[in-house]
This record gives sequence, structure tokens and C-alpha cells, in this order.
Amino acid sequence: MDAMKIANSIPMWAACGIAVVLVLIQAVIFAKNSYKAGKKIGLTETQMKKAMKSSAITSIGPSIVILSGMLSLLITVGGPMAWMRLSLIGSVMFESIAAGIGTSSVGVQLGADTLTPLALDMAVWTMILGSIGWIIFSTFSASRMDKVQQKISGGDPAKLTAISGAAIVGVFCSMSASHLVKLNKNSVSCILGALIMAVLITVSEKKNIKWLKEWNLTISILAAMIITALI
Amino acid sequence: MSNNKNEYFEKEYMPKMHRIGKLTGLLGVVVSFGPALVLAVVYGLLPKPTALLTAFIAAASSFGLLWIVEPISYFPVLGPIGTYMAFLSGNISNMRLPCAGMAQTAAGVEPGSDEGSIISVLGMAVSVIINVSVLTVGVILGSSVLSMMPQGVKDALNLLLPALFGALLVQFGMKQKSLAVTLLIIGILIYVAINAGLFNWLPGASNYLPTLACVFIGIGISLKMLGKKKEGQ
Repeated sequence: MDAMKIANSIPMWAACGIAVVLVLIQAVIFAKNSYKAGKKIGLTETQMKKAMKSSAITSIGPSIVILSGMLSLLITVGGPMAWMRLSLIGSVMFESIAAGIGTSSVGVQLGADTLTPLALDMAVWTMILGSIGWIIFSTFSASRMDKVQQKISGGDPAKLTAISGAAIVGVFCSMSASHLVKLNKNSVSCILGALIMAVLITVSEKKNIKWLKEWNLTISILAAMIITALI
Repeated sequence: MSNNKNEYFEKEYMPKMHRIGKLTGLLGVVVSFGPALVLAVVYGLLPKPTALLTAFIAAASSFGLLWIVEPISYFPVLGPIGTYMAFLSGNISNMRLPCAGMAQTAAGVEPGSDEGSIISVLGMAVSVIINVSVLTVGVILGSSVLSMMPQGVKDALNLLLPALFGALLVQFGMKQKSLAVTLLIIGILIYVAINAGLFNWLPGASNYLPTLACVFIGIGISLKMLGKKKEGQ
């Protein structure tokens, strides 16, 4: 039987669908409980709605990136796996590497050779085994890491804020650095994204333009992408 | 009042979220195997054990350390509840973190506080729903969209991610400029060192070393500065 027919078959859609639904259910349960808890600890509904709206707008750019990643995965391992892997645990950067490692273990070059059913099976297994490590470790260490962090901060809110605030800057410094050292169009796009964002933040703060504050990230990255692509 | 608030958060909300988080994480591992099970039961496809071992070793040596290093590096930003969510849904640095951070900014709450942790969960939940919706529409339209998309557009889309990271660096670094500049320089130096082969003894170092270093050096600097500020008062 043709591997792509198997990959896009109804049983595969069903199995992958269950996983996608689980992610959605978790998100809804967490959001509901947090919304309730938010009201109890003194967050206003306006604040929480504002936060959700801001997150929705912020999601647009990254969603497009993930979508384009899925489209390339779609032709190599079929719709259901691509859809599931980018909704559950997976990330754009990692999934096609895992699929490639899987197929090459039985001598099939992903994207170049025709996919055999066995190669598809190997790709699926490698993507699964390659990704569950994240969830196993994170799920079972979350409480322990919380205790370590409480110990370091001594429960001092100022320290906790300093830790989180510095960590998020650290993450994006490292991510930006990875593109800056490439010295190619990615570096240009990274610098432009940063510059346009700096200008938009300054302008929207000074003139207090509300809609611009909400949209500045999306505008910055789309403008940086278009300008870089054109030069 | 503030005591009551704290009590509710610590005694009711957190334990419940820990329970649901662990349960959904475990379920996530189980349902992950669904497609493999379908291939085995419906189509009689079983992996070749030796090939699977080779593939697993190859995968584990290229990103096995990430399984441990990423949850540790992202924990200070995500907190315990955010960790359950972010790792079940994936796409953390490129989607969950940006959305959680921007949501906190919009609500005007401090990261690391109880309020901040609740807001980041709300932000991430919205991003999960949007992510899944976009992917679902995309997978239904499927390869027809792909074939319609000119190569130029596909190349351009690859430039979106670096722009996102640059813009987010400014967003979160503007309030602590000297820290951001220091960490960016450290990040660049580590990548240069990795490219020069100085870390060849650490397999796959470029995947995790810069982030690990930037996050924890950043936390160290930030705590030190906070200590100094307090002494000065």
C-alpha cells in the first residue's frame, strides 16, 4: 500500500485528532480555572480580557511561521502527523529533523526518495520517542523546580519578578544571537525587527496610541520580513 | 484580605492545577503513541527494532539534552503551571513565551507574581487555541495552499522568526537595557565559540548552551543588582 495513503488515512486522522483535542481541553481547563482564580486574587476582568486580546494578536505572526513549517512537513509525513506534531509538544525547528532521522534509519532520504510504509512508521516512531522526553521531564519536575525557585527567592516577590524578568530577556537574547551570528538575511531581519519594535514602542508610549501598543509586535515582524525579503 | 487571597492561590488553585497538569501531561505521553498504534494495528507496520534503536540514539544525541535543559531554562519564565501547558503544546520560544509575556505586559502585572502566573496561563491558552485553529484550517486546505504559494513567499516566511526574536528582545529588554545588551553579547560570544569548534566536546551544544547560559547568567546578574539596590536603601 502507498505510504502517503496510509499517512493520510482516516484512522491516522482519528489517532492524531485525539491528541490535538487533548491539548485544547487542557488549555480550556487551565484558562477557566485561572480566570476564576484571577478574579479571586484581585485581577479585574478588563485586565484579563486585555491580556487575552493581546495574546491573540501576538499569536498571528508565530502562527504563520508554524503553519508554513507544517506545510513542508505535510508533504513528507502526511497531514495528520504534521497537524498533530505541531499542536502537541513538537516545534517547527525540531519535527522535520526527527522525521528525517527516522526515515534514514531504513535508508530513505526524507523529501528526496519516495516514502515507503516502513520509513513512514520509522518517522512516526522517531517523532514520538524524540518528543515525549520533554513532556516526561517537564511534567514530573515542575513541582520540584518550583520548590527550588521558592528556596532561591525565599518567597520574596521582588526576587521572583527579577528572576522571571531576567530569564525572559535571556531567552530572547539567545534566540536573537543565534540568528545574528549567521550574518545573512536572518540577521538583517532580526535587527530590523528589533529596530522597528523600538520605534513603535517609543511612539505608542509617548503619544499613548492604544491600538498601536497592541499591534506593535505584529507590525514590526511583518515589516521586518517584507523589507528584508525585498532587499 | 491579602492573606485570604494568598491562601486561595496556594491551597486551592495551585494544587488543583498541579494535579490537572500532571494528569494531562501523562495523557499527552499516552496519546502521542496513537499514530504508532494505528500503524501497527490497522496496517501491520511494526518498527524494525535495530533501526529504531539507531534512530532513537541519533535523535537523543541531537536533542536529548534539550528534554532536560529546556524545562529548566524556561521554568523561571513559565512557572509551574505554565510549564505543564507550554510543554504539552510545544512551540515554546516561538509562541508560548511571546504570548505569555505580551499578555503580562497588556495586563500590567509583574512576571513571577501570582497575578503574572495567572495572566500568562490565560495568554498561553489563547495562543494554543489560535495555533490549533490555524493549523487545522491549514491542514484541511493542505497541499493546495502549498502549491499555490510562490517560492519567494516561502523564503520570506523564514524571515519572520528572526524578526520575532529581535522584536521580543526589544519588548522585554527595553526596561533593563544594560542586562539585555550584556546577555546579547554573551549569547553572540557563545555562538561564535561554538562555531569555532570550542564546544565540540559537548554534542549539540548550539541547541541549548546559549539559552541556558543567557537565562542563568541573567538571573544571577539581576538578583545581584536587586541585592545592591536593597543595600543602598
